[in-house]
Amino acid sequence: MVISPVHYIALPLFAAFLMPLLAKVNRELVKIIPGVVLVYLSVVSVILMQQVVNTGQPIVETLAGWQAPWGINLVFSQFTGFLVSLMTFMATLIWVFSYRFKKVDNEPALKYYILFMMLVTGSVGVVLTGDIFNMFVFMEITAIASYSLTSFYRDRDGAEAGFKYLLIGSLASTFMLLAILLLYTQVGTLNMAMIAERMHTVPTGMKVTILILFVTGLGIEAEMFPLNGWAPDAYSQSPSPVGATFAALVVKAGVYSLIRVIFTLFDIQGAYQYLIVMGIITLVIAEFAAMKQTNLKRMLAYSSIGQMGFVLIAFGIGTKEAVFGALFLMFNHAVIKSLLFMSGSFFVYNSTSKEINGLSGIGKKFPYMGFLFSLGAFAIVGLPPFSGFWSKLYILIAAADESMLALVAIILMVSIVEIVYYFRVVAKLYFGKPTDEEVVHKPTFGGYFSMTVLAAVILVVGFYPDLITGFLHRAADTLLDKGAYISNVLGH
Amino acid sequence: MDPIIYNKIITVGVYGSAIGLILIGLYAVLVKKHLTKIVIGLSIIDSGVHLLFIAVGFIKGGTAPIFSPKGIELVNGGAQMVDPVPQALVLTAIVIGFGVTAVALSLVIRLYRHHNTARIDHIKSLKW
Repeated sequence: MVISPVHYIALPLFAAFLMPLLAKVNRELVKIIPGVVLVYLSVVSVILMQQVVNTGQPIVETLAGWQAPWGINLVFSQFTGFLVSLMTFMATLIWVFSYRFKKVDNEPALKYYILFMMLVTGSVGVVLTGDIFNMFVFMEITAIASYSLTSFYRDRDGAEAGFKYLLIGSLASTFMLLAILLLYTQVGTLNMAMIAERMHTVPTGMKVTILILFVTGLGIEAEMFPLNGWAPDAYSQSPSPVGATFAALVVKAGVYSLIRVIFTLFDIQGAYQYLIVMGIITLVIAEFAAMKQTNLKRMLAYSSIGQMGFVLIAFGIGTKEAVFGALFLMFNHAVIKSLLFMSGSFFVYNSTSKEINGLSGIGKKFPYMGFLFSLGAFAIVGLPPFSGFWSKLYILIAAADESMLALVAIILMVSIVEIVYYFRVVAKLYFGKPTDEEVVHKPTFGGYFSMTVLAAVILVVGFYPDLITGFLHRAADTLLDKGAYISNVLGH
Repeated sequence: MDPIIYNKIITVGVYGSAIGLILIGLYAVLVKKHLTKIVIGLSIIDSGVHLLFIAVGFIKGGTAPIFSPKGIELVNGGAQMVDPVPQALVLTAIVIGFGVTAVALSLVIRLYRHHNTARIDHIKSLKW
């Protein structure tokens, strides 16, 4: 079988629809098949990334034999390839984590894995596709799977969180559809490279209108303020591996689409400043809201929103170093936030409440879990020598190079807030008085394994950032080189 | 009636009703308190956007965009084909809208069973 980017979309989708049949044959197959698919896709990622890095050229795959401006194409460049590989590896680890996950172990395992595979298909498709309407379709696949996964547990307020998410999400998709319609009337094509080529013919007023509609539609998945009201509820009510999935896949797809639209399709003066302003508002409000939270998962969700604001700021600075820092931060956020959600979920299980106060002294009962959570907390606030330090440092350097000193000051001040609320939890874990409750659910072997891998990645990247900076630099160059994207896709 | 004025009336009517549908739907989503009515509102917004799509692709007197002998003959005779892309898009969008509405309604049922009410102002266990 020839390896091609199509496998990323075809295989998980095929597996998702095959699973109800396989469940009739053997119930274990339902849990094994997603792993087989995801491990295979990880291997594909390694091979394709190697090929792309060696040749320096993106792999452009035309589907169904229709050449670029007419048909749909998939673009596996150094930038999209990096994001896709990150998503695939994270999805594999999340599968390992949830293999014997307590609540999905019994009957709903089938539903859970079908939705999970749909989520992977959608978010990977958003990143790979080179067609704006196809991106909308993948966005909707991701969104519908996310709504259902949010309301997965019947005994929680999942339905309420899911309905809120759906309400915001489907309004957003309507705006995105309108934006695509207006764009089509102006440029007469749906291929993103061709749109970028013809964008200079569109009058400025129309451009701004379309961009606003796009930003409203895509900002939802990217958790941009004020469109992120769904996030805290969805993160706190969904099953724990799903929280990690949102942080590692869905939000990444949202940020990618926003960045692709602003960086490649449009060339409007002021769009970058707009990103910075929205990023600052998102960052400041989310971090202060996180400090107020008493529920651990909600706190992590607000912290996740804040990180995305930070990513938007970094992309808004727009220089090569800043984009590099933003991509580094996206990588770190996927790894660290997943670790925090995974280890945090075990604490929540083992305390009667979901409140932070209920975690008193739990780090002494679970020394290893406490260590992992503290590692994640130290990494995400940006303490050296963990990986979070480097991304924050690079973004700050990029901001200082552009002499945006007020921005540097805001980021550093917000970091203090971040340190306060994360260290409050860590202090509670170790120095709180242990409660007498003895409801001990030991993490599964898969849980230990995936969390250990994530912690190892944080430490290794923290000590040797050069391991991934090469990929990130090339990814940043690829994103900023609009002309190369157009000529590679259209073949001229 | 003068055909030019007639065309204008039709155009304004179609675009106007599409935008009107979107606004009615937005009103329902923003103002109504009943969950089912909100879902209906979402559905109406979708319909408005779909109508807009179709209106954009329409050419008066155009033929179907099919490469059949008859179609090619018509085009050679000076007829225009309507743009097939918006129609293809709208078919996809209808299917997606259907899926979202189905999920939304199932969530409404779940909410109703959980809270024993379908009024959004009575469901507030997750206020922030």
